[in-house]
Amino acid sequence: MSFWESFLSALSEGSIITLEMLALAIPVSMILGVVLAVARVYGKKPVSAIAAGIVGTFRGLPLIVTLLILFFALPKVGVYLTPFWAAVTGFILCSGAYQSEYVRGAIRSIDVGQSLAAQSLGMNRRKEVLHIILPQAFRRALPGVTNEIIYLILYSSLAYVVGVSEIFGVAKHFNSLNFRPMEIFSTAAVFYLLMATVAYAGFRRLESRLKIPGLDVGR
Amino acid sequence: MLGEFQTMIWEFFPYILGGIVWTFGLVGGGLGMGFAIGLPVAAGQAYGSRATNAILSAYVWFFRSIPLLVLLFLFYWGIFPALGYKLDPLACSIAVLGIRSGAYQSQIFRGAIESVGEGQLMAARTLGMSKTKGIYHIVLPQALRVSIPGWANEYAIMLKDSAITFALGVLEILTRTRYVVMATMDPFLPYFFAGGVFIVLTYGGTKIINLVYEKTKVPGLIRRA
Amino acid sequence: MTAPEIVLRVEDLHKSYGSNTVLAGVTFNVTKRETKIVCGPSGSGKSTLLRCLNLLTIPEKGSVWLEGIEVTDPSVDINKARQKIGFVFQDFNLFAHFTALRNVSAGLEIVKGVRKDEAKKIALEALQKVGLEEHAKKYPAELSGGQKQRVAIARALAMNPVIMFYDEPTSALDPQLIGEVLEVMKQLAREGMTSLVVTHEMGFAQSVGDEMLFMMEGRILERGTPTALITDSGNEVTREFFKSINKLYGRFEK
Repeated sequence: MSFWESFLSALSEGSIITLEMLALAIPVSMILGVVLAVARVYGKKPVSAIAAGIVGTFRGLPLIVTLLILFFALPKVGVYLTPFWAAVTGFILCSGAYQSEYVRGAIRSIDVGQSLAAQSLGMNRRKEVLHIILPQAFRRALPGVTNEIIYLILYSSLAYVVGVSEIFGVAKHFNSLNFRPMEIFSTAAVFYLLMATVAYAGFRRLESRLKIPGLDVGR
Repeated sequence: MLGEFQTMIWEFFPYILGGIVWTFGLVGGGLGMGFAIGLPVAAGQAYGSRATNAILSAYVWFFRSIPLLVLLFLFYWGIFPALGYKLDPLACSIAVLGIRSGAYQSQIFRGAIESVGEGQLMAARTLGMSKTKGIYHIVLPQALRVSIPGWANEYAIMLKDSAITFALGVLEILTRTRYVVMATMDPFLPYFFAGGVFIVLTYGGTKIINLVYEKTKVPGLIRRA
Repeated sequence: MTAPEIVLRVEDLHKSYGSNTVLAGVTFNVTKRETKIVCGPSGSGKSTLLRCLNLLTIPEKGSVWLEGIEVTDPSVDINKARQKIGFVFQDFNLFAHFTALRNVSAGLEIVKGVRKDEAKKIALEALQKVGLEEHAKKYPAELSGGQKQRVAIARALAMNPVIMFYDEPTSALDPQLIGEVLEVMKQLAREGMTSLVVTHEMGFAQSVGDEMLFMMEGRILERGTPTALITDSGNEVTREFFKSINKLYGRFEK
């Protein structure tokens, strides 16, 4: 097998790992983002304080440090995560915290009249938030949230530090065996470039699909 | 044992803290370079020709679509040597952080320039200012003030990205932390300590920047959310 | 002869914001099929009054009774009570992410648990009643102010309320759009819908109002038939108010 054949096939396998990590991390981080935002805006004192603490911590910690703590430090207290799961957990916590800021801002930007109208019809808080506030807030938060997801796609490369054989990990490994950095790392770059660009285009389309006249998708 | 803990605190923690100098070197150099690149790029995108815009947009797209880690390795092992530059890890990291930050900062400034509104430039030109003078004296000062919140965010991001340069061996906070972990075989305290340092630097820094923002706020100038 | 059934009973309602007293003891009843008008200068408390009645704003003191149930009692489920009140806001407050039709059916589906197709049918009927069935698929941003307010009325009607609250329903509308909303309100009043209307549309008040409450500084200063208050009040303050309204709006149409 030539260099390129083995390299590209290894990269493809690495891509699958990357995509697997993202397939888990992206949706769960979005859920976490909404949960944290709702907890901060509507939760009672202890709940909203805890949520604020989580958001503050994972926005203040570099993702790389979070990953290292999850994989290397946690075993000392008896929590053993595999490289894959340490990485995915780190992604979810970090990206979820960032996303929650966008969602929280969006929730607070919804006109109070929407809440009043919902309440005047007899909706309790749960129905008001679920049916009236969140659908609007999420649309407003979409540009910020999709931005964070693209960050996540790129920062997934950090998973190599905890031993995941994703795209960058594969490239680095190959480089140590056959020192051809220009070709190897440019190719890895192209893989990420493609993913980021496709995601970006996809999100733009999603935003125009969800567009409702008068409801600004992102202000 | 307590003895080990004391060693940790008195010997190793200061060593980790020493990395702050390097960290701020990276952050300062990266942000500074990013500013020097980003502002002209933003002006070029807002006021330049179609061709200029295309080239600049390509630059922005390129450096925002590739992970920092990949860029660091690509430039350190590949591009800089190929161009004949012998850069040490620190210089190379600053350069890569800077070029990359320029792409991100340009979008902050571009949004700010657009929010200032063309009325301002039109007024400047009716007074007889050339386009360049108008942009430089009227639009940019306003745009810069409006950009401060977004820029504070960029500082926070740069601070965290600086940790990634551990991959090139730059002796900043994280690299030193990893050495300590290897030396003491304790992954718990050092990483948590480093985490705490980063959190303090992140929030302390953004607080200071926001203070500056409050002091220089212009009443009536629309604030970008 | 049977005494008219009291739908809404308000007793000694008080509301302050800090040192600012907005409602200083308001007491009145609304009987079935009655159209009660509330008017007064800005700051008189009329705007806060309606919101206190369905507890969107919580009053400090006083009690409100809807069909015999004390709404202000904390142990009473306020959401059940709100379903029986049709609230129309000055700013419409249509749900921005729903079409006109969905706006009207939302309360039915989400609050009352009505099935989708049934809710849609009722919503369409409500829209027909306010004359907007062709705009059912439009979003609020695509509607004019008058249309938005009529959809808001339909949304309130669809819930089959026992009383309608109108909080200055035409104050946010361009003059030429006020008429279409008042027409709908008049129609409903004539059909016997119990209504409590905060407004300064004196033509409307005289046309379908049964009793008018003139509010001043958080109290009901005077009450009587609209015509009596507007044209022939014995109270100096009341007379001054309606003189200025008359000047402002010219001769109002009946």
